[in-house]
Amino acid sequence: MSEKHPLTNILANKMQRRTFLKWSGAIGLPVIAGGIGTKMLVKRKKEAKAVGTKDNEQIISTCSVNNCGGRCVIKAHVKDGVVVRVSTDSQGSGDLSAPPLRACVRGRNYRQMLYHPDRLKYPMKRVGKRGEGKFKRISWDEAIETIASEVKRIGDKYGPESRYDNYASGQCWGLHGGSASVRKLLSLTGGFLNYRNDYSSGAGNVATPFTYGTNNSGSSFDSLLHSKYIILWGQNPSEMIFSTPYREYLMQAKKNGAKIIVIDPRYTDTAIAFADEWISILPTTDNAMMDAMGYVIITENLHDQAFLDKYCLGFDGEHMPDGIAKEESLKSYLLGEKDGTPKTPEWAEKICRVPANKIREIAREYANTKPAALIQGWGPQRHAYGEQIMRGGAQLACLTGNVGKLGGWAAGTGYWNRSNIVFPFSYDNPVKASIPCFLWTKAVEMGTEMTAADGLKGTERLNANIKLIFNMAGNMLINQHADINKTRKLLEDESKVEFIVVSDIFMTPSAKFADILLPGTTFFERYDIGVPWCFGDYVVFGEKTIEPLFECRDEYDVFAAVADKLGVKEKYTEGRTILDLVKESVERTRKELDASFPTFEEFRQKGVHHFKYDAPLVGYKEQIDDFEKNRFETPSGKIELFSKTLWDMNQHDEIPAIAKYIPSWEGPEDPLKAQYPLQLISWHYKRRCHSTYDNQEWLEEAAKQEMWLNPKDADKRGIKDGDRVQVFNDRGSLLIDVKVTPRITPGVTGIPQGAWYTPDTNGQDQRGSVNVLTSQRPTPLAKATPQLTNLVEVKKA
Amino acid sequence: MALTTEPLHIQLQPFLLARKNFYQLLHLLFSMPVDVDALIGIKRDEIFEELGEFHEGGKILDGYFKHLTVEQIKREQQEFQRLFIGPGLLGAPPWESYYRSREQLLFEEWTYQIRELYHRFGLQYCKENNEPDDHLLLELEFMIHLTDLCFQETKDDSIEKLLATQISFIEEHLLIWIASFCEKVIENTSSQLYLGAAMLLEDFLSFDLESLVEVREGSILCLKNIH
Repeated sequence: MSEKHPLTNILANKMQRRTFLKWSGAIGLPVIAGGIGTKMLVKRKKEAKAVGTKDNEQIISTCSVNNCGGRCVIKAHVKDGVVVRVSTDSQGSGDLSAPPLRACVRGRNYRQMLYHPDRLKYPMKRVGKRGEGKFKRISWDEAIETIASEVKRIGDKYGPESRYDNYASGQCWGLHGGSASVRKLLSLTGGFLNYRNDYSSGAGNVATPFTYGTNNSGSSFDSLLHSKYIILWGQNPSEMIFSTPYREYLMQAKKNGAKIIVIDPRYTDTAIAFADEWISILPTTDNAMMDAMGYVIITENLHDQAFLDKYCLGFDGEHMPDGIAKEESLKSYLLGEKDGTPKTPEWAEKICRVPANKIREIAREYANTKPAALIQGWGPQRHAYGEQIMRGGAQLACLTGNVGKLGGWAAGTGYWNRSNIVFPFSYDNPVKASIPCFLWTKAVEMGTEMTAADGLKGTERLNANIKLIFNMAGNMLINQHADINKTRKLLEDESKVEFIVVSDIFMTPSAKFADILLPGTTFFERYDIGVPWCFGDYVVFGEKTIEPLFECRDEYDVFAAVADKLGVKEKYTEGRTILDLVKESVERTRKELDASFPTFEEFRQKGVHHFKYDAPLVGYKEQIDDFEKNRFETPSGKIELFSKTLWDMNQHDEIPAIAKYIPSWEGPEDPLKAQYPLQLISWHYKRRCHSTYDNQEWLEEAAKQEMWLNPKDADKRGIKDGDRVQVFNDRGSLLIDVKVTPRITPGVTGIPQGAWYTPDTNGQDQRGSVNVLTSQRPTPLAKATPQLTNLVEVKKA
Repeated sequence: MALTTEPLHIQLQPFLLARKNFYQLLHLLFSMPVDVDALIGIKRDEIFEELGEFHEGGKILDGYFKHLTVEQIKREQQEFQRLFIGPGLLGAPPWESYYRSREQLLFEEWTYQIRELYHRFGLQYCKENNEPDDHLLLELEFMIHLTDLCFQETKDDSIEKLLATQISFIEEHLLIWIASFCEKVIENTSSQLYLGAAMLLEDFLSFDLESLVEVREGSILCLKNIH
């Protein structure tokens, strides 16, 4: 308009306007002339009881319950019912008995997440083909009615083992949430197929107990203040947090003079912040370095023979289980007495690429500097033979006698826990059958054919394949499970899984596969108590800050309504609201666990509670201090460097009785390297929590989705920093921008995990969603995910 | 404006009626297309035929309604949902706050400015604090409400104030974001209904602002002449 001559413009406009009004004045159609239908603007009621007033900001302390290892304090600044900004714990540092629980970049973004225009707002039902993304808005009544009748229909037709609540971690570290609600409902109506284990430390969770009897091989963070030497083996708390105050303790350990070594294929933010030395290593070869360290330690007589003799089974020929030959011992293996291959640093260097002298140096330092903590991250065990990596680390801790000692560390999975609250919302599933969580797609495809060899427990055979899936605030339905293309085909076949319910706050790749899609709430919109993974002596109050937006609804309430339809509401709620659950947790925690726990009002007021202890928790201290009284929970009561149970499984190549290096499929020695020469790993990116927040613009600005490639590998392929590249193997293909950096080991490439699968019409992912390239082949013992074991090729797109 | 002895509120009646019709029509076009009778009524009465002769959006709508079928309305419901309801990424988020906030969020300060205006007129959104107050349909409904108030008003200075409110509401709110909203609709739809409606919405609001300004000036002049 403005480009025209102004006068002509005005005249023309005036002409048109008069015509406009003349035209509209003549419309006699009752629906227009008669006024609009239902009015949305109504006579104003009395002042609504929103939190905070227009001029008076109220600060409300709350907490997110996503699958971060930590829990931080989120302070919502609320005016007139709206969160106008968020801040975090303002308590000062210094007192390590009550460290500040400050939010990282992810926590700073929560207001953006809360008021994002793409929030799911209304219940929906699928109208197109499954996965196509076409939905129709429906009422809550219709959604609940549909869910209730499908739960019943599928249960009646196929039996309760056909019903499954998929692994989901978007809101899993609180008192209630989607999965707990679904499970309660299904338990009250016949039951559901259980899963075991997790995608985080799946191989370790099964392997470590073969050595120690339990996974509780960790020690509390304050024990690190006594360590003189710390190895973070594949652990990266600067980017994936692990526990909110963890870095505070690491920093203090460093100040106390501990030397810190980081072993990782990437020069991580943790290496930058804490490491005296970064050891770069090829993925899947950690056990080669571990074996060589063991070789150095025993050949140079640095091992703790007294410790090994007293507490361990299988170190040398004199300490073998009955009926097992001497040459099956750990020592014999390391010296190569049976296979003719001594596990020398030179042998290891060829495999893992860490220089032999560096391996010697680390081995000597680790064995000589007491106490020393070898702490294992879980990335390295998300590998083809991840079980070996966790037992291998534990083996080194035993060789050096660092187990059960203050400032030492037992390695292995490394759980520790001493601070608990009561979880009052629980269920009792009448179905006892369970599958390894990673094999759920197999249970969809051929559940009835699964046996104990696939990790099926609690039954000989399943009566049905999975026919009904609840996917509550999770992205494992497609994005985070391995081999997206394979999973996609499986889900698209509507005759296999007959009904899928998804609840979430955004339209994730998994949400696209819903038959009924429910709008969930954020933590701002409900009460809860946030707990960290098991590592930490703190809990955070989750105050309901505002009413749920749009038609968003807490899953607890949704499934209470479904329970009502199925006649089990009383049993489901026991008359309790979510707020009642929170109050009950606090009251029962005071009564049953810890009389010093604050009252509900005190807790709410403070927003956080730090549990206090006089001394650090040291993993396996009881056993080491008084072995006669306290045995390890293994069959022999000792630490089983050699496990007779594993030996008896009689699959020695893939499930050896002692931890050892096993060349990995799609590892550096796989002939497939000729075709796909690069090892691909993924890591937990600092801008996401798994796949949560991938759609958040601020966070993408903070750290964009890009692949790391070493300059040597980039040069060979004519790839420059910032280029868009195609990454592919036989399972799939994706496009991503590349960061050319010496911060990643040559021969290795890394894609941050969790980007949302965004296929073009040919199925090529456009966002860098790493699981189009990963494999569903499980680890041999735990049946856990090998998602960091991949060979790929990269070329300019 | 011609000098006449008729009272202002009588003189303004046809103008107000024409505007109200227009707003109600826009409200209908941007509501979920479920009122089949109303839409078929538009087709039957060939409402857009005349408009199509002098406005591009009108022409598109005229063509659209001429061939409207019940099947077509069903497809349009899907398109409406894709553009304005979701799930997921919306073709054109229909909230003022989205277009005016730096971070493209909902419930930013503009939502509250709008809410205050509603409150000042004794109104509130029936979903206050659940859904944002600055949805397109609510802002259109508010304009209809103000026009209705004008209709019922006989006092000249009150009419003048109501006209002033409408002018500032369009100037300070609707017109600031509607252009970007319509641009997004036009970019993201191939539906003739929403293409035409978007073109009409944007143009009508500019024209309405101009006429309101003129009419208000005329009224003031008129009042001066009388007193």
